[in-house]
Amino acid sequence: MRRAVALAGLVAALTGAPSGPAAAAVVAFSAEEKHAIARHGPWPPPWKRDAGNRHSGRAAAIAFGRTLFFDARLSRDGTHACASCHRPELAWADGQARSTGRALLDRNAPSIANSRFERWFGRDGGADSLWSHALRPLTDAREMAMTPALLAGRVREHADLLRAYRRVFGAPGDDDEALMVNLGKAIAAFQETIVTARTPFDAFRDALLRGDRAAMARYPEAAQRGLKLFVGRGNCSVCHFGPTFSNGEFADVGIPYFVAPGRVDPGRHAGIRHVVDSPFNLLGKYNDDRTRANATPTRHLLLEHRHWGEFKVPGLRNVGRTAPYMHAGSLTTLEQVVRHYSELNEDRLHADGERILRPLRLDTGEAADLVAFLESLSAPPARGARP
Amino acid sequence: MIGRIAAVAALTCSVALPASACVARLDGARSIDAARHTLAFRTDPAKVTVGKPFAVEVAVCPKDPALAIDGLGVDAHMPAHRHGMNYRPGIKPLGAPGRFRADGLMFHMPGHWELLFDVRDARGSERIRAEVRL
Repeated sequence: MRRAVALAGLVAALTGAPSGPAAAAVVAFSAEEKHAIARHGPWPPPWKRDAGNRHSGRAAAIAFGRTLFFDARLSRDGTHACASCHRPELAWADGQARSTGRALLDRNAPSIANSRFERWFGRDGGADSLWSHALRPLTDAREMAMTPALLAGRVREHADLLRAYRRVFGAPGDDDEALMVNLGKAIAAFQETIVTARTPFDAFRDALLRGDRAAMARYPEAAQRGLKLFVGRGNCSVCHFGPTFSNGEFADVGIPYFVAPGRVDPGRHAGIRHVVDSPFNLLGKYNDDRTRANATPTRHLLLEHRHWGEFKVPGLRNVGRTAPYMHAGSLTTLEQVVRHYSELNEDRLHADGERILRPLRLDTGEAADLVAFLESLSAPPARGARP
Repeated sequence: MIGRIAAVAALTCSVALPASACVARLDGARSIDAARHTLAFRTDPAKVTVGKPFAVEVAVCPKDPALAIDGLGVDAHMPAHRHGMNYRPGIKPLGAPGRFRADGLMFHMPGHWELLFDVRDARGSERIRAEVRL
């Protein structure tokens, strides 16, 4: 790739095209590579309300959801809020390898930024909507340990919560489960507003598409080389696809899934069973999309043995700010993540015949380039301020 | 996963149409001429997008007018990756002979996919493949 840069400079010199440091710092990309890069944008995608949540995009619901998100009264003992593990100052993650609720949890808390663009929610995809996903930590005994009755009680007994609830949903009836679902929909309405800002990569991608070499040259050369690897030989963009850098599905990438001696995290296999069995899935009565068009993936989910130990392909926006990495936070730096894929132990993959992942065998410079690219996907702090 | 048919719709069909009728009955369809059948299909929506569910409408006609279509299976895979979809299509006969609709397909990666149609008749099953590049 360094040869490609040098060649580009030579061509510029011979053809009289603009030369100098700016022109020389643009890596040559093939048409196929440009096509792959184009598919990682535009950013941000246009706003689209969640058809399954009638409160999606409503200002009052967003405001109430923001309050709830930071409110520890939503936990049994009043010690944990959603924001305890999804901290705005840590890019909406918590910086811990495995998060701690009322007990040490099995997984790393993912950032909730850009979650509105997802299809499945949680590391195992155990929820099929953002609002139903909000109910999982609320009711998980190891996290906030609430029940519908406890949650409804908290709303009814605190005047500020009751007032805010009425403003969005009207008077709470006596159906505690419906009240809990409404809380989930308000929290989701708030989470939908948390979208990462544009990054140096986005500026480069847009400049590449319009052929603006001067603007392209402002993107670090190492990041350009890393991008070329990402969409080319590395084959990373097959799974880390699209504007969020995730295809929204699941993979086994050779990370051990033993949680403790004799205990494994089944990942997607359990997630599929959870979402199919959940009364809050999109096939159920709480889905506000009467067409049920948004339930198509849930209706057609396939459960196979290969899903054992798979975890969701994470989006990579802000990846430089959301260490540690992988489903249980086992890798602490991007350098370690790149090394993992470079030296991938194929014996650890439960690939069931799949041929996607191969060791990349990167040299030191290539690994550094890939890290430089990944770091260019980070943005200033996301919108969505503390109340 | 390869070779597995995710779902099969059975149809007892007493009327066999000439193979040429398949294409004529599906506007904008791609037609595939296989050994024993002609199959035409179109996707809904017409443009298949990575990560978006889509449906396939199928018209299949036996070349031997004495044979009836007993059923159709639809699946897809990525030959180079050796994996299929994460979703099981639901297939239903549309009433007219040889007409089917498969819902709930999703291609979750860019690249080379193959749609796999298994057409069943009294002689057994014939697999018909259609390439899709995303």
